Amino acid sequence: MNINQEIKRSTLLLDNREAIVSETDKEGKYLKRIFISGLMSLLLIFVIIFTLPSTVLSVKSLVEYATIVSLVIFLFVLLIRYFTILLLAYLYINQYTFKSTTGFYPFVSIIVPVYNEDKVVADSVKSLLDLNYSNYEIIVVNDGSTDKTKEVAEQLVGYQKGRYSDVKVSLIDKPNGGKSKALNAGIRYSKAEIVLCMDGDSQLSPDSVRLAVRHFVNPEIGAVAGNVKVMNRGKFYTDLQALEYIEGLNMARSAQSFTRLVNIIPGPLGLFRKKAVEEAGFYSSDTFAEDADLTLKILANGWKIYYEPNSISYTEAPEKLHQLLKQRYRWTRGILQSIRKHRNIMVNPTINFGDTIILWTMFYEALIWPVMNIMANVFFMVAALAFGFTSLIFFWWAGLALLDLITALYCIAVEKEEFRLVWYAIVYRMFFILVIDICKAMSTVEEFLGIKMAWGKLERVGVAKA
Amino acid sequence: MELIPILSTIILVATISTFILAIGAYILYKIRESKGQQVSAPVPSTIRAELLTPAEMQMEMQQPEQKIAPQPIYIEPQPVPVYQQRPVYVQQPLQQRAPMGPQYVAQPRQYAEAGYGDPKSYQQSKGDSKFLKYTSEGYVTPAKEEKTSGALKWK
Repeated sequence: MNINQEIKRSTLLLDNREAIVSETDKEGKYLKRIFISGLMSLLLIFVIIFTLPSTVLSVKSLVEYATIVSLVIFLFVLLIRYFTILLLAYLYINQYTFKSTTGFYPFVSIIVPVYNEDKVVADSVKSLLDLNYSNYEIIVVNDGSTDKTKEVAEQLVGYQKGRYSDVKVSLIDKPNGGKSKALNAGIRYSKAEIVLCMDGDSQLSPDSVRLAVRHFVNPEIGAVAGNVKVMNRGKFYTDLQALEYIEGLNMARSAQSFTRLVNIIPGPLGLFRKKAVEEAGFYSSDTFAEDADLTLKILANGWKIYYEPNSISYTEAPEKLHQLLKQRYRWTRGILQSIRKHRNIMVNPTINFGDTIILWTMFYEALIWPVMNIMANVFFMVAALAFGFTSLIFFWWAGLALLDLITALYCIAVEKEEFRLVWYAIVYRMFFILVIDICKAMSTVEEFLGIKMAWGKLERVGVAKA
Repeated sequence: MELIPILSTIILVATISTFILAIGAYILYKIRESKGQQVSAPVPSTIRAELLTPAEMQMEMQQPEQKIAPQPIYIEPQPVPVYQQRPVYVQQPLQQRAPMGPQYVAQPRQYAEAGYGDPKSYQQSKGDSKFLKYTSEGYVTPAKEEKTSGALKWK
């Protein structure tokens, strides 16, 4: 209910400049690079084939040894990866459990960028009015929507009745320019010390702000990442994504949080110290993963980033395969763009050692791991079809499924999530992860080829209810 | 037929199908996306946006130092301490709690109020049997049996 319906309209002049990487003959440059790399590889293969008979090894034994060594390396990397993440996540959860709360409750500006979200924007703002926090305002930024988002958002402007106090709701209506510019407009307009950036279709849990802001009492913390959960469950793909968010994303984030080096602050919920965002130069439009890019910039400036598992944002996940591929295509290319943008830190650990480690981890997760997984599956398929080793693929699947089941069980217990999601771990590795990894590999190839891409917009069905 | 070869065949077929599905879906996605490609227009260095705020907020913006109260305005209540060393204190309501001291626990009246009975009567009844026997006439104190009588008893 509005307390004050008198609305003032004024004009804002927003900075619209953006740093764009030169696109001049980018595709040609990469094609040339790939062509030369291919030629060099062919040359190397010919050298090996012609010089091999003069050594003690034969081609057959070389292939056998290479296969065995590759498999051992793959298994070793897989187990090290799993157990490192599990151990760090466990240490983080232990540390988190025994941490006391503080009485630090600064003023927070909640920035809600919306683009064609007329079905869900009202529910999102209503969920924000129910926050267990009193010292905050809401700034809705309409990024040139073509539907009725502006009209719906205008109805929300005013002093709204919150749980503890009246909450100011403002609207910035700007021409379309992308999510990063919409968020920048809101952050620049805000006068708060802490800004919360979220998605227009996300809904926050009542304690999300109260629990997240307490970490800013530590002056080294530049941002706090929230916990994203899938809202529209009950369908095959969304349930698999719900498990992925819990097992794949949140557990990794917990592990990173142990070292205060979270590599991606998720779009649906991230709290930033405004000073850290200003130092980092706000969100950039030159990558398709603006959240990853800003996180890396904040880390590069020496700030620490923490993860708050009880600060929850519920978001709509893609329900159809092509929507899921669209999302993952953008994520993969965006992360690769961010890594490329910060490659000087990647190759020079003296600038920021923590950031270097994080970049290599991202590179491994985005590029090396998917390729390794695909190659392992191809190997087992070839072994079964060409050499009749059919049982190998079963033991491979059984081992991975068992590992996934145990991890899923642990993660679901830690997050007090739905137990029924554990059973999706059986098909998680062999179906879901394989589809995602193939999409990642294809996207990587496109990124290296420099093929132009556009922002994908997920069609909202409006399941969000406050 | 053994179970492992059957499961292996199922896994193999599922993996091959997933491969085909993933590659096919990706190609279809790219075809779908290529149809909706738009040419991006050049962007100006500054853009105008409309700001809608409540009237009071505009006035506050002219005096930004009055807008935000940086000091915390919500303080979480501190947990009430629970004295676990003396259980008698925990059971009592907070208002009735007497000042802590060793003499408080030792007072005999406190035992009486708590329903333990007078210490004297407790000592007098010490010799009585703790158990009563239920008969058709109600509860009666069981008579002491001669264990050395030698009579055989069936239970």
